Amino acid sequence: MYGGGNLFETPKLDELRNEDPIKLKEFEDRIERGEKIEPNDWMPALYRKQLIRMIEQHAHSEIIGALPEGTWITRAPGFKRKMSLMAKVQDEVGHAQLLYSAAETLGKSREQMIDDLISGKSKYSNIFNYPTFTWADCCFISWLVDAGAIVNQTANARGSYGPYCRALDRICAEESFHLKYGHHCVIHLATGTPKQRKMMQEAIDRWWEPLMHFFGPPDKLSVHTETLVKWKVKMATNDENRQQFLDMYVPKIWELGLTIPDPNLKKNAETGLWEYTEPDWAEFKRVINGDGPCNKERLAVRRVAEERGEWVRQAMLAPQSKYVVPLA
Amino acid sequence: MNNIALKDLLYKIADDQLIIGHRNSEWTGIGPILEEDIAFSSMAQDKIGHSYAFFNVLHELGESDPDTTAFLRNAEQFHNCQFVELPIGEYDFSLVRHFLFDHSEMIRFEMLTNSSFEPISLIARKLKGEVKYHIMHANVWIKKLGTATNESIERLQKSLDEAIPFALGIFEESKYEEELANEKIFPGEIALKERWIEQISDVLKQTELQLPDLSLTEARTGGRYGRHTEYLQPLLDEMSEVIKSDPTAEW
Amino acid sequence: MESLDPRIARLEISDDAILQPKEALDQLVTYEVFVQKKDKAAFEHVGIVHASDVEMAFIFAKETFSRRFTCFGMCVVETGKIRITGYTDNDNNIYDQVAKVEHGDGPEEIYEIFHLKKRGKQHVHIGSVEAESYDNALYKAKVLYDDEKPKFNVWVIKNSDILFSDEDDKAIWDTLSDKKYRDATAYRAMDKIKKFKEEQLNQ
Repeated sequence: MYGGGNLFETPKLDELRNEDPIKLKEFEDRIERGEKIEPNDWMPALYRKQLIRMIEQHAHSEIIGALPEGTWITRAPGFKRKMSLMAKVQDEVGHAQLLYSAAETLGKSREQMIDDLISGKSKYSNIFNYPTFTWADCCFISWLVDAGAIVNQTANARGSYGPYCRALDRICAEESFHLKYGHHCVIHLATGTPKQRKMMQEAIDRWWEPLMHFFGPPDKLSVHTETLVKWKVKMATNDENRQQFLDMYVPKIWELGLTIPDPNLKKNAETGLWEYTEPDWAEFKRVINGDGPCNKERLAVRRVAEERGEWVRQAMLAPQSKYVVPLA
Repeated sequence: MNNIALKDLLYKIADDQLIIGHRNSEWTGIGPILEEDIAFSSMAQDKIGHSYAFFNVLHELGESDPDTTAFLRNAEQFHNCQFVELPIGEYDFSLVRHFLFDHSEMIRFEMLTNSSFEPISLIARKLKGEVKYHIMHANVWIKKLGTATNESIERLQKSLDEAIPFALGIFEESKYEEELANEKIFPGEIALKERWIEQISDVLKQTELQLPDLSLTEARTGGRYGRHTEYLQPLLDEMSEVIKSDPTAEW
Repeated sequence: MESLDPRIARLEISDDAILQPKEALDQLVTYEVFVQKKDKAAFEHVGIVHASDVEMAFIFAKETFSRRFTCFGMCVVETGKIRITGYTDNDNNIYDQVAKVEHGDGPEEIYEIFHLKKRGKQHVHIGSVEAESYDNALYKAKVLYDDEKPKFNVWVIKNSDILFSDEDDKAIWDTLSDKKYRDATAYRAMDKIKKFKEEQLNQ
């Protein structure tokens, strides 16, 4: 579950000046033709770097994203919800596995990536730094955060890097049930008892702003990414993704009689675009830099999981085998 | 057919599966490596699925619906062995419990495939593939960690020593062993335990681990009769927290 | 550390622990995983798992790659044991670059051959050859399996390095029918929405 956002670095022009112009042209032609880039192909260092960064952030978001929902597994109401939620959270871990594997093909080991996550060096989706106080919060994530992620992932699946696209195809196929499950849960709460309804409305009130943050800062505030667009690393802008999400899901929220805590939210009939209050981007920045309600806990849990699992991994080391970069 | 005996058997199986499934699910998202996280979570789902199947049979025999039966009883009404309710501990304990419990589960289900009570034999046959994988998984891990490093061997041995008295509690006899055997519903805990000892010994022999002397070990029993450790009730409270917050609601 | 998450609370994480990168390296070896999506279908590459050995790789691969979609068989092999050719593109056939190698320096054994027939897709098992080395196997594959269409990349693997799922364990693949909760179709609720809307109108 990854919403994209602005976590690209501005490519520096001189980073490209050192590349072999003939190879660069072949590379760009291949992308232009719609062919995928495979791990053993020549690629510009900047392409490799930005892809590792993006896929890694995506993978981190999956593994950290398993925590706010995972907390509700033991508490999920009844057999059906329990099994669905377990399978869903398990899928998030599975997606992390697929994504780390895709990033590994670019030459960064999974261990190094996880170390960078734990040390705070690399980032993950901001939204998972907020707590899930109630069952309805968990349902909100299952439905709407996953929905936002799918918008982004479906776009990225049309990108240029073969292993990432294949991982995303699989992830999107798996996530189709997440969305339906999340919607099913929210429908039950919204059309249920007054207590359930109140619980659901409160969750939306709490999560709306983080969800708007999830797609990243508005395009006018984002770094320039023309090269990344040309290379099909970045497939849609933050605003495009946000608009698509609003278009698909706001009506579905409203039809359940739920309200969205933004009085300015409406679709402009002329432009066909949604108008909304800009969420507080200073808050976004503050949380991404470590000062959100759950940043500390999320990283501590991940660190403890790694530390307590270390003896297992040590026992699994095979001294006679050498690590090689996965093939595809 | 003796319904009281039958229900007693069904309750203990369903409760064992429900509780160990919940315990094992606590690892989802925090396992020692990603692939194992996924595998362990699948098996936890399987266990909860098994318990659901058995609660459904109980429902057909006149008990409440599965959600009510599973989530709205108190600890003293639960028939699971104490082994499954213990906290997950570190991964060594959870793995050893998985190994010891799942071997008993596999043999129990094998025995039940021949049960004269058809709904049970049907479920037991259907779950064969899942249980087979659980055993493959457990055996590979125990053989690996039971021979790998000093630390892994020591950890597993310590967990094994701690687990064995509780594991023997799996085979606590019910009041109805004779009826169940006579009616060919289930051959009984003693027969199950004998095969279990053989099976786990076979695997442990291939490791550096020592099975404690079972004749000198006192089984931790009581679970089958509603006597539990301090850990069960808080877990049950957690499992039912949402349901109880509005019992009239459909979730 | 106090947490809203009861299972995290039970982990008893100390509050003052400082975030530190761990010292020891424990990067595990990777294994490539192949599945049969249909009964008797060709093995197709699906991805990798990290594991200690080939048995554990199989155990991991099973739930990583078959828990959600039907699968009839699976095999795993350590990544380092796969010999791969270069990649081509456009209409260039990689076999055109394969030299004639009629013998090798090893005993004759079975090698499995995998083709990449479309860039962006997965490698698919095409058949096996008996050969005396990887290069010898690749050459024999060219003779046997190079039809008109271009192949963009070829993998050559010794059969003895691969762990295949066992026919006797077939039951482990037949478990998805009880897991409908992992399908989107299990979550229909339109009638609930419809009823809700009608009630709103009547109020």
